[in-house]
Amino acid sequence: MSSSQSPRKVHLVGSRIRELRKGRRLTQTELSEMIGVAQSDLSRMEQGEYKVGLDTLFKILQVFDLKMAEFFGETESPTTPEARSLVADFQTLSEEAQREVRDFVRFKKLQEQPEDSMPEGPEDEKA
Amino acid sequence: MSDRRKHLEFLRKTAKDAIWAGDYERALTLYDDGLGLARGWKDRDLEDLFTCNRATTLLEMDRQDFDLSRLKEILLRNPTNFNGALAAHTCARAHELRGEPARARFYAQTALQKSRDLGFDDILASSYNVLGNLELRESRFEEARDLFEEALGHLQSRGDETSCLAAQYADNLGYCHIALDHVETGLPLVRRAVDLFEHHGARQALDYPCLDICFASVKTKQLEEAEVWGVQALALGKEFARNDVVKNSHYLLAETYSEMGKEPEADEHYEALADFYPNFPALKNYLRQISLMDVINLRA
Repeated sequence: MSSSQSPRKVHLVGSRIRELRKGRRLTQTELSEMIGVAQSDLSRMEQGEYKVGLDTLFKILQVFDLKMAEFFGETESPTTPEARSLVADFQTLSEEAQREVRDFVRFKKLQEQPEDSMPEGPEDEKA
Repeated sequence: MSDRRKHLEFLRKTAKDAIWAGDYERALTLYDDGLGLARGWKDRDLEDLFTCNRATTLLEMDRQDFDLSRLKEILLRNPTNFNGALAAHTCARAHELRGEPARARFYAQTALQKSRDLGFDDILASSYNVLGNLELRESRFEEARDLFEEALGHLQSRGDETSCLAAQYADNLGYCHIALDHVETGLPLVRRAVDLFEHHGARQALDYPCLDICFASVKTKQLEEAEVWGVQALALGKEFARNDVVKNSHYLLAETYSEMGKEPEADEHYEALADFYPNFPALKNYLRQISLMDVINLRA
């Protein structure tokens, strides 16, 4: 039985549906016809008031044919749940903390480089 | 009450018990027998009554192989008696199942009006329940909550707090509260429904209460609890061939396991759910990364 950390999920909410619809240049009438709900209900849904069953939700996902990067609002999606979780955690940090994480990552990358590719330093430090 | 009528009342009661126990075929047979007897006796009143009851049983079985216009004829022929109100109520259920909410609402309002005017409390409470379900399907949770409160109130005012109908209305009311994020109010109502259904041996009616408790538990991150109730809802959904319950159970169980960090178990349920949608091959991947908990309505 796995006990790995649960990947952080993005919650589909009404405002995101509105953004995605606008991104596809669809009117409420057009999208409501595609997913089989009344336009007034789609309007309520985008305002977070109207909830639907799985069949309709899956139609919405299918219509948008999302790329995950787009859904996460990123230019390029991290490929694994762990990587996405890491990005999400990073985004919650303060600017100062983010700078420290960047410095640490830079340090770890340097550490993992083969020795002959390390930048030259003073002779006494090398010894 | 004549002996004939007593006999048919006994048939009706036995059939109703069979429906709550999930034995629809038996109920249908009993109603068919009653209908045959009523016709043989040329008792129009009893024939109308059994015609409505038989149609209700078929609706419970998700079947619509009955003559809806016959029910409407009963309604027109009986403007001021019980059968007219019952026919209106049955028409409402039929249109609800057909996905015709406006017509369903019209007939439910008719049943409500007639039963209120003529004093048929059972149909009155049940009409409020149908109207509540129609609101619920359209995510008008507050309106639905008020209607289910009315339904339950009418039963309680007659001293009925423990019947299967009381359990059904309590569960519906509880779900409204849960959907409105008032889990602490909704959950005790749903748990009471479970106790009552279990007490009456109404296994087939336990599916949605189990699902509702699972839903509330996922919302409140009571994940072990969610798992227990989700597994039970799934088993009941499969046993009584209710695809909506099966799909919702798979979804909620997948969310539960995902929250627990048990990805292989979550995947099993995402896959089972995706099997219902063969034309949407990317579905499983979406579900792994997107939560629908904020936008889902289990009763839509």
